[in-house]
Amino acid sequence: MSTAIRKLVPLILLLAFPAILRAQDLKLPPGIEKLASKAKETVEVNMDGPMLHWASKFLSAEDPEERKAAKLVANLKGIYVRSYEFSDEGAYTAADVEAVRAQFRSPEWSRVVGVRSERDGDNVDVFFKLENEKIAGIVIISAEAKELTFVNIIGPLEVDQLADLGGEFGIPKLKTKPPSSKPMAKADKGEQK
Amino acid sequence: MTEMNKNPKPLEEALRNALRREDAPEGFALKVLAHAQQQNAAQEARRTSWLSIFSQPPLRWAAVAAVTICLVVGSIYYRNIQRQRAEGEAAKQQLMLALRIAGTKLQLAKEKVNEINTSRPESQPQNRSPRSRS
Repeated sequence: MSTAIRKLVPLILLLAFPAILRAQDLKLPPGIEKLASKAKETVEVNMDGPMLHWASKFLSAEDPEERKAAKLVANLKGIYVRSYEFSDEGAYTAADVEAVRAQFRSPEWSRVVGVRSERDGDNVDVFFKLENEKIAGIVIISAEAKELTFVNIIGPLEVDQLADLGGEFGIPKLKTKPPSSKPMAKADKGEQK
Repeated sequence: MTEMNKNPKPLEEALRNALRREDAPEGFALKVLAHAQQQNAAQEARRTSWLSIFSQPPLRWAAVAAVTICLVVGSIYYRNIQRQRAEGEAAKQQLMLALRIAGTKLQLAKEKVNEINTSRPESQPQNRSPRSRS
């Protein structure tokens, strides 16, 4: 009896998984949420569509940064962020992060960037959700030695807006290599498909 | 000519008659005072008739209650607006923080990829850097 249940559990999880993904697109395992107690600093942002639109009403049209933010969030359906900063290394395990990463190994998601650094232990993954050849969502998973961050942006985004996201909001734009050099995403794109 | 001699200054006489001092008729001052008093009384009556609404206790209390309600409703409305504004500002700060974090992490990803690209010379594409891209 118990073996039958054990066999059914993965099936139930498999069936329930798309529903979980549709609900918020990023479901953090309970273990990750518990990390907040270990963290020195925790940032938790949960903004759904109505909340985003309400918040964007308070963005100033005179401030260039806020004007860009308003344009960026105009069509978004949600922004969810969890960021934990720890005092010491080893506060989380690789399995914790892998459990989150595994959620995006589905055909609708493409991993466009996946960096594993053996030197400083910084791992960054960027997943795009594509719908009709347009970006419909982004998930960023950044696992650094003392910091763990999950960002989930749901909704349509233009490529130039994405560039703004990477280069604005107080962060200087990074000069990327000319197109003759190796394309940044070539090795990673489609790996998860 | 003889007429003129008899009364040589008829114009002067006429003026003197016209401008001669005459005493006011009897009771004139009293009439003026009475008229002024009447006017004052009418003004006072008008004023008291408007304010007399509040002379009745129920109406007075109703007026006090109405003013109090207006003040309370006004202050609640004002506080509500203030609270909504504060919540909106907090939501805006959260949104900007979320975008900053997202921007920082995208920037980090770009930086890492660039580091990998620069550490791998074009001539030796097989050499692996300390960082491995999965």
